[in-house]
Amino acid sequence: MSAAQIRFATLWRREVNRFMKIKKQTLGAPLLETFLYIMVFGAALGSRIKQLHGIEYILFVIPGLIMMAFSVNAFTNNSSSILQQKFQGAIQDQLSSPASPLELLLAFSLGGFVRGLIVATLTFAVSGILVGMPVDHVLVLVPSLFLVGFFFSQLGVLTGVRAEQFDDVAFVQTFVLQPLIFLGGVFYSAALLPQPFETLTRFNPLYYMINLVRYGFVGFTEVSVPLSLLALTAATAAIFAINLRLFARGYKLRA
Amino acid sequence: MTPQALHIKDLVKRYPNGVEALRGVSLEIAPGELFALLGPNGAGKSTLIHCTTGLAQPTAGEISVFGHDAIHDYAEARQAVGLAPQELNIDWFLTAEETLDYHAGYFGMPKRERRERTRELLETFSLTEKAQERTRTLSGGMKRRLILARAMMHRPRLLILDEPTAGVDVELRLELWHYVQRINQEGTTILLTTHYLEEAEQLCDRIAFINDGQIVGEGTSAELSARYGVANLEDAYLALVGRNELSRSHIEVAAQ
Repeated sequence: MSAAQIRFATLWRREVNRFMKIKKQTLGAPLLETFLYIMVFGAALGSRIKQLHGIEYILFVIPGLIMMAFSVNAFTNNSSSILQQKFQGAIQDQLSSPASPLELLLAFSLGGFVRGLIVATLTFAVSGILVGMPVDHVLVLVPSLFLVGFFFSQLGVLTGVRAEQFDDVAFVQTFVLQPLIFLGGVFYSAALLPQPFETLTRFNPLYYMINLVRYGFVGFTEVSVPLSLLALTAATAAIFAINLRLFARGYKLRA
Repeated sequence: MTPQALHIKDLVKRYPNGVEALRGVSLEIAPGELFALLGPNGAGKSTLIHCTTGLAQPTAGEISVFGHDAIHDYAEARQAVGLAPQELNIDWFLTAEETLDYHAGYFGMPKRERRERTRELLETFSLTEKAQERTRTLSGGMKRRLILARAMMHRPRLLILDEPTAGVDVELRLELWHYVQRINQEGTTILLTTHYLEEAEQLCDRIAFINDGQIVGEGTSAELSARYGVANLEDAYLALVGRNELSRSHIEVAAQ
């Protein structure tokens, strides 16, 4: 391995080891949370609702839950890790190393991405065993999940870098992310909403992400798949470019 | 011509709030020197160090380390610098051993070499028994030792020690002095900031005074005392900060 490869591998390993050291909180809790949702919305409500758009209700809900697990964990991990290291001053160790802004940004991003991927994969595996979760369009599912995970990793990095206190991270998670996810149609179809809520839902970017992932799993979508994929790719590229620019400028990282 | 270990020219650092922490600092440290930077709190010592190590971005000026640009094309320059900062900035999640291992990894050191170097420095700084302990459980003195070990992990040619003996007991301070002298004799250039003037006087070849973001005096301890027309480095320092009335010679005269 070259010195640059060792450097990047170490930066990334540090991020992964951080959440692996507190597995109960970083992997156990989100897994439990997802299964509670499956129990309540899938098993309890599912017995009443039966089907949505011809799809068994629990199969309609699980793709959204998998996407939610991926995005929330990617976001939370990166925002907390960066803010915590800023508080301790420990981030100076990475910042004073020869690592480039791109290496630092990718390593911080990949920590949350891997955590989100682990939770999402475990949720999918157990759903597969419990309810026989299908995968109808793997070529849409894989890039969609990858983009969703990467987008929220970047959003987590951006929030962590900008944040000056833990309240700043909690604010984005509780007052921005959570409402957008819940109102993005994880548990219902936007077509069932009265106006103006049906139209409003279409302004929620999470709605398109949930539909892409749902299409990948069960083949049902309320939005255009190519257009949504294109928009998600553009949004992910844009937030990555913003973060890279902030890292290069040292925004709130270097005095 | 052999490049200087540290070359700083007309360095200016203005923070976004308008505070000008460095106002045209120029400084040269030759390879192999043990150099002290002295000055009151807020004089600009840490800002100068942060600019050299990439933790602060200079507003204007030049910095090079062993001939490598430390501002724009910084990879080689940072590789050559080891920083032991004033704050105990270690990661609570890591063990002492991981702290050293990760640091060396950030500087591209291969695994086997990292393992050997970690063992060696844990031993040198009497931390072997604490290798697997999380850093937050270490005492203040142990954390200080760990930070020094971390700075040395990647075998930097220029070691920057920002008040390394602040808040440590006498025994550790003397141990550190011995260690600093030893690695300096082995060829490492050292830039030391301290508030203990006797430390600078005993350890360092040359000393610079910084005040209000400017270098206001530079030379050996004897040269600086002569420049201010006083008997020792402490009085020269007091002359610099405009507090001559605190000189021990005044106190002794008053006691008589």
